[in-house]
Amino acid sequence: MRPALSPRWAKVARDLAGHRFRTLLVVLSIAVGIFAITVVMGGRGILLREFETVYEASAPATIVFEVDAADESVIRAVERVDGVRLAEGRRTLAVRYDKGVHADDVPSTGWDTLQLRAVPDFERTGVDLTTVEAARSWPPAAGEVLFERSVNMVASYAPGDVITVETPGGTRVSLRVAGIVHDINAYPATFVATSTGYVSMDTLRLLDEPPRFNQIRIVAEEVPTRAEASRIAMEVRDDVLVPRGVRVLQTDVPEPGSHFLGDIFKAVSLLLLALGVLSLFLSGFLVVTTVQAIMAQQISQVGIMKAVGGRASQVTWMYLAMVTVYGVLAVLVGMPAGAAAGRWFTTFAADLLNFRVTSYAPPPSVVALGVAVGVGVPLLAAIVPVRLGTRTSVVRALNATGMSGASFGHGLIDRFLAHLRGLPRPVALSLRNTFLRKGRLALTLVTLTLASAVIMSVMTVRTSILATVDEVDIWRFDTQMWFALPQGAEAVERIASRVEGVRAVSTMPEYRTVFTRADGTESQPIDLIGVDPDSDFVDPRVSSGRWLRAGDTAAIVLNADVLKSEPELAVGRSATFNIIGEDREFRVVGVVTAGLMGPVAFVPKSHLDSVTGGTGAVMRLQVRTATGEADEQARVGRLVERRLEERSIPVAFRQTETEQRDQVASQLGILVTFLAIMGVILASVGVIGLTGTMTINVLESTREIGVMRAIGASHGSIYQIFVTEGVVIALIAWALGALASYPMSVVLLDLLEGAMGLPLTFEYSWAGVGIWLASVTAIAVLASLLPAFRASQVSVRDAISYE
Amino acid sequence: MTDTARADALIDLRSVVKVYDTGEVPFTALKGVDLTVHSGEFVGLIGKSGSGKTTLINMITGIDRPTSGEVVIGETPVHALNENQLAMWRGRTIGVVFQFFQLLPTLTVIENVMLPMDFCSMYAPAERPERAMRLLEQVELADQAYKLPSALSGGQQQRAAIARALANDPPILAADEPTGNLDSKTADSVFHLFEELVDAHKTIIMVTHDNDLAGRVRRALHVSDGEIVDERVIRPRTERSGI
Repeated sequence: MRPALSPRWAKVARDLAGHRFRTLLVVLSIAVGIFAITVVMGGRGILLREFETVYEASAPATIVFEVDAADESVIRAVERVDGVRLAEGRRTLAVRYDKGVHADDVPSTGWDTLQLRAVPDFERTGVDLTTVEAARSWPPAAGEVLFERSVNMVASYAPGDVITVETPGGTRVSLRVAGIVHDINAYPATFVATSTGYVSMDTLRLLDEPPRFNQIRIVAEEVPTRAEASRIAMEVRDDVLVPRGVRVLQTDVPEPGSHFLGDIFKAVSLLLLALGVLSLFLSGFLVVTTVQAIMAQQISQVGIMKAVGGRASQVTWMYLAMVTVYGVLAVLVGMPAGAAAGRWFTTFAADLLNFRVTSYAPPPSVVALGVAVGVGVPLLAAIVPVRLGTRTSVVRALNATGMSGASFGHGLIDRFLAHLRGLPRPVALSLRNTFLRKGRLALTLVTLTLASAVIMSVMTVRTSILATVDEVDIWRFDTQMWFALPQGAEAVERIASRVEGVRAVSTMPEYRTVFTRADGTESQPIDLIGVDPDSDFVDPRVSSGRWLRAGDTAAIVLNADVLKSEPELAVGRSATFNIIGEDREFRVVGVVTAGLMGPVAFVPKSHLDSVTGGTGAVMRLQVRTATGEADEQARVGRLVERRLEERSIPVAFRQTETEQRDQVASQLGILVTFLAIMGVILASVGVIGLTGTMTINVLESTREIGVMRAIGASHGSIYQIFVTEGVVIALIAWALGALASYPMSVVLLDLLEGAMGLPLTFEYSWAGVGIWLASVTAIAVLASLLPAFRASQVSVRDAISYE
Repeated sequence: MTDTARADALIDLRSVVKVYDTGEVPFTALKGVDLTVHSGEFVGLIGKSGSGKTTLINMITGIDRPTSGEVVIGETPVHALNENQLAMWRGRTIGVVFQFFQLLPTLTVIENVMLPMDFCSMYAPAERPERAMRLLEQVELADQAYKLPSALSGGQQQRAAIARALANDPPILAADEPTGNLDSKTADSVFHLFEELVDAHKTIIMVTHDNDLAGRVRRALHVSDGEIVDERVIRPRTERSGI
C-alpha cells in the first residue's frame, strides 16, 4: 500500500485529525473571531447598503414647501423651474384617532395623533415612495386609510380594521384600514408617538377638508448640494409661488441624501465598526496564543524533524499549512454562523429603524474580510511563534520535556511567589504555574483584558446613555398636551389649574421660524418657543453663554441642534429670524444642549407676544401634579383632557413625562440594545478565549499532571490547581480591564457624541465592573473545569508519555 | 597523530570546546577534544552520566555547536554551516539514532522512514516507499510497516529508528545510548544490527554506558569530565574469531 501523501504532509493531516479536541478548540477560537466580525461588520454593511438602497429608491423630496393652498396648475408651474425633476402636491392634516374602535374591540385608551397625507394619485406618485406590505384594496378608496407599518409598533392593525378619526374642526369619520405600507421617509411611530396614514383626495371631502394642497414636495434633478437645493427653493418661491398668490408658510430643504435617522444610524454604524475592529484584535490575540501553545507542544517533534534532515523553512511550511487548514475550517464554521446571526441582527436593527431589507447577502468586502481574518490573520499571527519554534536549535528542541520549571525562579514575581508563605500547597502551585509561562500569560492577559475592557466600556456607555436620557429633557412637567388649534393661554391655564391633582400649569407660545443666513438663504425650520425666564417648568443645561433673564427682550437662546446646522449663530451674534412672515432681529445670548427636540430656540414669552401681536395663543399646555408619580401623571392628564374637551378645547395629543422619557429612551435605546448584543458577542469571544487558553495550559501541563498524580495528587487537587490558575488569570485580566475600560469608555462616548451631535453624560458603570467580576470568575471556573476534567482522566503512564 | 592520518579521517574534531551558560557558573562540557575517526570504524564513546559523551556526539551530528574548535566531517566544516545547511547536510550524511527512538507518533513506521528522503529530496518520490520497505526488511520490520510507532515494542521502535537513520544511505551513523531503553536481549539484537552495518562499510559512533556492549565495539573512547581520557582498540570480530 503506497501512502497517498508524502510523510511530512501526512504528519500535518494526522496532527489535525489526531488531535481532534485541540483542532476543535483552535478552529473555534478563530471561528468566533470570524463570527463576531461577520455579524458586526456584515450587519453594518447590510444595514448601510440596504438603508441607502431603500432610501434612494424612495425618491425622497429635495425641497418641501408648506403653503396655505395650491392647486395642480401651481404644481405644473413648479415643475417647469430649472433643476426641478418633478413636483407633487399633498394635503397633510393632523387628526386624532381613536384606537378604541378597533376591530378587536380593544378598550379605548384615548385619542392619539395621526398625521394624514392625502395623495392625489397613488399610482403615479414619484416622490417619497411607499411600498405596500399588506393591502385589502389598492389604491385606497374614499373612506379608507393606509397605515405606515410602524403603527404596529405601538398598536396592532390589519387591513379591514376600522378607526375613528376627528379633524381639528371636530368632524368625526370612520375610516377602514385599506392596507399597511412602508414609508422610509415617515417618522416611525415609536419615535414620535404619532402614526402616519395615507388617504385619497376623495377622503378629504369626507373629513370636510378642501381638496387643495398645503404641501408641495419637489425632487431636484441629480442630487444637488444643500446650497443648490436652497437656491432652487428660493427660485420656486420667488418666481412661481409668490407671483401666483401662494403663501409660503415654511420651506424645508433637508441635507440631500440625509435621512432623519441618520445621526442614530451613524452612531450605530460607528459602534459596530469600533467593536468589529476590537473583535479583530481579540481574534488575532487568540490565534497567537493558540499557535504559540501548539508550537510549545510540538517542539520536540520539530527537533526530531530537523535532526533527520528537515530544514527550518520546510518545517515552518508544515506548521503554516496546518494553521491554514485551521483557518479554512474556521471560515467554514464561522462565516455561515456569522451570516445567520447577522441576518437575525440585521432584521432586528431594520425593524427598530423601520426600514425594509431587500437582500441579506453580506457585502463582498465583509466576506473577503472574514476569509482574510480566518486565514490571513492566523497565518500572520502564527509566523512569529512558528518561526521561533522551528528555529530552536535541535539540541534544545530535543531536550524539551514538557516540564518548563527551568524558566521559573528568576524574575521578581517568581521570587515573590516563591517566598509567599502560608498558602495551601496546591494554591501556591497554581499561583506559580500561572507565572510559569510568562509569554503565554502575557498573551492570554492581553486577550482577556481587551475583552474585559470592551465589555465594561460597553456597560459604561449603556449606563451613560441611560443617564443622558434622565438628564436630556429640559422640561419639568408631569403631563403635557398639544391642541389641534391655537388656544387662548389664559383660558387653558384657568381650566387646567382647577382640576383636582394639578399643582401648577404652564403654557407657551410656539412658532415655526427660519433664520436668514448672511448669503440670503434660509435655514431649516426652527421651533421658536416663548418661555418665562423664571419659569421652573424649564431647566436648561447651558453649554455656552447664559439662559434668558427677566428683563431680556430681543434675546434668544438656541439649542445645540440649531448651532450644528447654523454654525454662524455664535453667542453674541445678532441674527434675523422670520416669524409669521416678518423679519425680527435677535441677539444670541446662549446655547443649551440639544435635548433630542430637533432645532429649537427660546425667547422671552413677553417679547414673543409683543412681536406676534400679543395674541396669547398657545399650542401646548404643561401640568405638574401633586405627587409626580407615573400613575398620577396619567390620571391627572386624563382629567385635564376631559375638562378641556368639555369646554370645547380639543386635545390632539397627550403625553406624560414618563411616556416622553420612554420615547426618548426608545431612540437611544436602539444604541443600548446594540451595545448589549455586542457585549454578548464579545463576552463569547472572551469565554472561548479563556477556555482555549486554559485547555492549552492543561494540555501543555499533561506531563506535570502525570508527575503530580504519580506522587499522590488526587483528582480534587488537580481540579483545584487548574481552577485556581484560571481564576487568577481571570482576576488579573478583570483588574487590568477595569483600568483600561475607563479611557476606552471616554473614547467610545466621544465618538458617539461626535456621531450623534448629542452631549452624553459620562457615568462610569461600577455595576458593570461588579457584574463582570462575577461573570469572569464564573467563566474562569467553567473554562478550567472541562480541561481539568480531561486531565484527570488521563492515566499516569499516558500523561508522562504525552507528546 | 600525523597530518596524513588526519587528512584521511572521515570525522575530524580539533580542539573542540563546549561551554554551557547555566546561569551563575558556566559549565564546560567539552575541554578541547581532538578526535579523528576513519571510514568504516565502529567507535564507542563510554563514560559516566554527565561526562560529556552526548555533547561530543552532538558536535559530530551538528545537533549542537562547539563554543570553539572545529568539526570537519568528510571535507565539510560542520561548525561553519548555518542551521539550514546543517539540516540538509545531516539528512544526507549522518543518520541519527536516539535513546528514546524519537519516531514521530502520527506517522506510520514506513512514513517515518521515508521522512528524511522527503526532507532531503533524496530518491524519486515513487522509489521512496520501495526503498523504505527494503530498509524495514533489513531491520526485520517489514510486517510492521503500516503500523503507528505506539503499536510497536521498544526494540521494534529502535529498529525502525535505525531504518530511518539509514534512509538516505548516509556514510555515518551516530547513536546516543541506542540500547539504553531496551532489555538486554533486544539490546543485543540492535547491537548486532550495528555490527552488520559496519561490515557493510558504515561508520558508526555510539554513546553507551553499557560495559558489555562497550567491549564489543572496535574502538572505545573513554570520556570523563569533558575529555577523552583513554582509548582502547579491539580486534575486529573476524580476526578474533579467526576467520
